[in-house]
Amino acid sequence: MAAFAEIVLGGLFHAAVLFLVAAGLQLVFGVQKIVNLACGAFYALGAYVGASAAKWAIGVGLPTPLVLVVVLLAGLACAVIGPPLERVLRTVYDRDESFQLLLTFAFLLMFQDLFRIGWGANPQTTGSLFLSFGTLDLGLFKTPAYNVFVIAVAITVAAGLGWFLQRTNFGRLLRATAENRAMAEAVGVNARAMFSVVFTLGVALGTVGGALVVPASAASLDMAAELVVEAFAVVVIGGLGSISGALAGAVIVGLVRAAAIVFYAEAELLAIYAIVIAVLILRPAGLFGKEAV
Amino acid sequence: MKGQHTRGVLRRRDVIKGAGAVAAGVAVTGFPAIAQNTSLKIGILTPKGGIAATAGENGLRGCQWAVERLNKAGGIAGRKVELVVEEETNAQQTIERFNKLVLQDKVDMVQGVVSTGVALALGPVVEDSKKLTIMWDGTTQDGVTEKLPDARYCFKSTDNECEAVMASLLAIKHFKGKFKTIAGINPDYSYGRNNWAAFKAILKRYGIEYEVVAEQWPKVGNMEVTSFVAALKAAKPDLIFSSLLFADLPVFMQQAHAAELTKSSLMVFPAAGWQHTSLKKAFTPENMLFGHNTLYFGHPNPTPLQKEFVDWYVGTHKDYPHWEADRAYFAMESYKTAVEAAHKAKGGWPSQDDVIDTLKSGIKVQSLGGPGWFRKDNIAEQTFIQGLTTHKNAYDFCTLSTFDTMTSDVLQKPAGADFWKWIETAKFPV
Repeated sequence: MAAFAEIVLGGLFHAAVLFLVAAGLQLVFGVQKIVNLACGAFYALGAYVGASAAKWAIGVGLPTPLVLVVVLLAGLACAVIGPPLERVLRTVYDRDESFQLLLTFAFLLMFQDLFRIGWGANPQTTGSLFLSFGTLDLGLFKTPAYNVFVIAVAITVAAGLGWFLQRTNFGRLLRATAENRAMAEAVGVNARAMFSVVFTLGVALGTVGGALVVPASAASLDMAAELVVEAFAVVVIGGLGSISGALAGAVIVGLVRAAAIVFYAEAELLAIYAIVIAVLILRPAGLFGKEAV
Repeated sequence: MKGQHTRGVLRRRDVIKGAGAVAAGVAVTGFPAIAQNTSLKIGILTPKGGIAATAGENGLRGCQWAVERLNKAGGIAGRKVELVVEEETNAQQTIERFNKLVLQDKVDMVQGVVSTGVALALGPVVEDSKKLTIMWDGTTQDGVTEKLPDARYCFKSTDNECEAVMASLLAIKHFKGKFKTIAGINPDYSYGRNNWAAFKAILKRYGIEYEVVAEQWPKVGNMEVTSFVAALKAAKPDLIFSSLLFADLPVFMQQAHAAELTKSSLMVFPAAGWQHTSLKKAFTPENMLFGHNTLYFGHPNPTPLQKEFVDWYVGTHKDYPHWEADRAYFAMESYKTAVEAAHKAKGGWPSQDDVIDTLKSGIKVQSLGGPGWFRKDNIAEQTFIQGLTTHKNAYDFCTLSTFDTMTSDVLQKPAGADFWKWIETAKFPV
């Protein structure tokens, strides 16, 4: 029983990481209709800056909870790159999707080089920050407290995004713009400003996610491209453009992967992509996606 | 810096000047100054990004230090060395860059290459190009089978399984009788799979009964390992064997420590040295079997050469070198030694064939981590270092409390042998 619970928790942790990457991807696609391959780069940027911020905060002797606050604020501050990048993206809004993919993929590669220039080839870690949060005794077993914290934050982000999109005026405007941009503009919505805000919010989800997860992981040059691939499995399963879909897709991928690792490690990727194919065949728009009319 | 090649019509005054320079050059360095007029161009292929970027960086630093040092001492047989560095990426691109080094940059020889996947594809190209190439860490093995057994121009590193064979022997030496159930977590490519298979084969060879309770194959570069840790914990192994060596290793160790996996299982990590400074005491246990491959920076009785290098590395880069620096140094030092030996034997600048024949003759060099040489089949023999970890040091990461050294002539199959059959009959030092 304890082993089963630990395996489920491991799967949920992975799901939390995937959700934080996929949520930004979903938000941007939902409103701007751009498949943003650079979302992995934003996650990696948050991780690199978060790792540096942690080193600084530990160096000046801040207590552990404050170190974490500094790390998350550093991740949030990275979102300043959102508006200028969105300005570049405007050049491809009305062009073929392949240009959009190419441009966002170019961002991904450029960021990878910037990480190398800024931090070198060595992976960046936060040292023992992860361990300073201790372990959580859940009765049946002990687990790293930070892993549970990451899962809790991912759930909070999912709930917060849901509330923001459903219950706030700005969220309603966002959804209206996503449904029908021309109509929204006709009733006075500034779609251009909306796009900039949405893209920046998508960047922030990625950068804060990266900063949040780096204490339990490491910032490395490969992480951007690595996560994008799995994030796409998540959005295909959940449905492109749906935040609920991102959550459901992430949980499915996380748990299926955890089960595969335990029962037949060789099938780790096979199990995930078998589900992706099944969804594409049985429900092409994904579990929470809207069928094209 | 590109070399300056002056071409033009020689005037009488130039000839007289040149003769003077020859005399001065011979007096100072023992080599004719005519050779000093042109630098030796050595092409370097090294990864700068991706999972092997750290290794590439370490290797390049070792290589640059070697060149700086030998240039100060007059170069190789009197010729200064100039490096032309290209990036090692995937096999196809690296082959293109190799061709560029040979055809466009007209380098005298090539060194580098960390990935066996790249080396395997590059090996036949090297042979076709007839350009002497010494690989740092790449082999031309497909799995454990040598695919270029009759190579002439391509000199390869030691077989990839050396560290696994050594770690298996030392696991038996240190942990025999303390384990029954074993689990493996190894990178999902031929290196990880062969190492795990070698470990089990050596246990069998020594008649040690074991039961495999988990086999994990994380993808290379995967940084999220909680599910792997949970699966290993559920399997409750007495001993974990892992060839993780990239940035995922410290992440794994941190998660394993937090899940108390490091308390309950013996740990055998033959390739951990690539991440040695990232494996902090806070989460890396003592008495873990830890492989440093061919360079352990903290050797208690280092050679003057190793001490000089480590001091320079620490002073310059505020970091501690690992084995890739040694592999790069070994490649450069082997070339230098072979050229100078052939030069001496010939009484003039040797041809590439002279240098290759000298390398194949088994000429010994002192590398950073210990002595090394090349076999007749162009495979390197080097000195390997592994031992048990300790926290009793001035660093924030683990060093070794006890360590063993073995030369690879007892750790890798002889030329032409089948690896698995060799394990069944080899004379091991443990």
